[in-house]
Amino acid sequence: MKVVVNWDLCESNARCMEVAPEVFEVRADDRLHVLQERPPEALRAKVLNAVRLCPKQALTIVED
Amino acid sequence: MKLTEVDLTNLDFFVHGDPHEMWTALRREAPVYWHNKGGQRGFWAVTTYNTAMEVYHDPRQYSSERGIALQFNDVATTDNAGFGMMMIATDPPRHQKIRKVISDRFTPRAVMPYEPHVRRIAREIIDSVVDRGECDFVVDVAAKLPTAVICEMMGIPREHWDTMFMLGNMSIGTEDPEYQQSRTAMETGSYAQAQFFSYFSKLIDERRKRPGDDLISALAHGLVDGVNLNDLEILFNAFLLIIGGQETTRNATSGGMLALIQNPGECARLKQNPGLLASTIEEFLRWTSPVTHILRTARQDAVLRGHKIRAGDKVVVWNASANRDEEIFKDPFKFDAGRTPNDHLAFGHGEHFCIGAHLARLELRVVIEEVMRRMGDLELAGPVEKLRSNFVAGIKHMPVRFKPTRTARVAA
Repeated sequence: MKVVVNWDLCESNARCMEVAPEVFEVRADDRLHVLQERPPEALRAKVLNAVRLCPKQALTIVED
Repeated sequence: MKLTEVDLTNLDFFVHGDPHEMWTALRREAPVYWHNKGGQRGFWAVTTYNTAMEVYHDPRQYSSERGIALQFNDVATTDNAGFGMMMIATDPPRHQKIRKVISDRFTPRAVMPYEPHVRRIAREIIDSVVDRGECDFVVDVAAKLPTAVICEMMGIPREHWDTMFMLGNMSIGTEDPEYQQSRTAMETGSYAQAQFFSYFSKLIDERRKRPGDDLISALAHGLVDGVNLNDLEILFNAFLLIIGGQETTRNATSGGMLALIQNPGECARLKQNPGLLASTIEEFLRWTSPVTHILRTARQDAVLRGHKIRAGDKVVVWNASANRDEEIFKDPFKFDAGRTPNDHLAFGHGEHFCIGAHLARLELRVVIEEVMRRMGDLELAGPVEKLRSNFVAGIKHMPVRFKPTRTARVAA
């Protein structure tokens, strides 16, 4: 799976970082950084939760 | 309550009854319900969490450009309700473009530096009532902070804050006799909006010439597709900010403190464990759900949980109900200061997620801390008066009594 961010929508709410810190980090520059663009299957549940909870619905998963 | 007794347009029930009786019946028996009562135009009432999310996550199908609330929906137009201009009533892709003009002012990191300032305002507000040992918690405390904070952010001088407060009350309290002052609901809303627009017109002219770092300046100079917003777009969005800033956080504050008064065990738990502050704030939001409902209009025929929705149908998402959904929240009718997870929909979700969410959380954190520090043993000293509205879960008055701590001891 591949994590795709819609940068027009992202407003750095950082909910993704709360539920999947291995994959998402909002840094001091107030921008989201995707730490693992293709996270391992073991993180699927966490990433799906991040996608669901993103207040702006800025995240999607694309299956390879 | 029986389904046949449900009438979500009966505003008096929102004052004197418990609307949760209606939503609980709807969630149980008809989570997507064709509501056609009270002589008003029918609408679909969505009362469960997952269906609410489904509607929120499809802004192209469930449009905001034909109104966002039940009140005046029949008579709302582009001219009087800012369709396609005011962010809350604008669909993608334009919505997000307007939003970008100010959204960097509202991220968690962007609002963090306001904290000392918000705290200073909160202390001044409490200083002004603390000696009395009693006050109207809404008018004297809970409403004062959000008004001060949003006015400062918009660059509205202090001498006009009382006017902003009064006009905000009228804008949201159009159906409440206290704010109507013998006008009709429509006249009340129109009057307040006209007053706001005339006031903001002058501010906009001023900020066009001499921009500051306030939100009015940002709106006046911001570019959407390389073009400045026009006057009406700026006015509607300034109006949105002053209403959104004032009329929501105050109710989360008052309703949340009321929940703490009514649940002394949870209050004691929070006092003993300040680490619960963050979860208490989220529980305030879930519990009070300051924006009771949000309306959408179906663009095309669609199926929602097996129901045929026709193009043009009104679909009303009841946030207050979704936030008590038994399938999502364990013991939803228990106020739990430590509730985790707590993925409530008090700020909506998706495209139109509340832009001020982090500012609201900051204000709530500061006000809870300061009230608990300075207004000990808070208790009710008279009847709680609710706003006559099915849109905003307002508390107009909440007389309280407390043991004053006169000096604001600096803890941090």
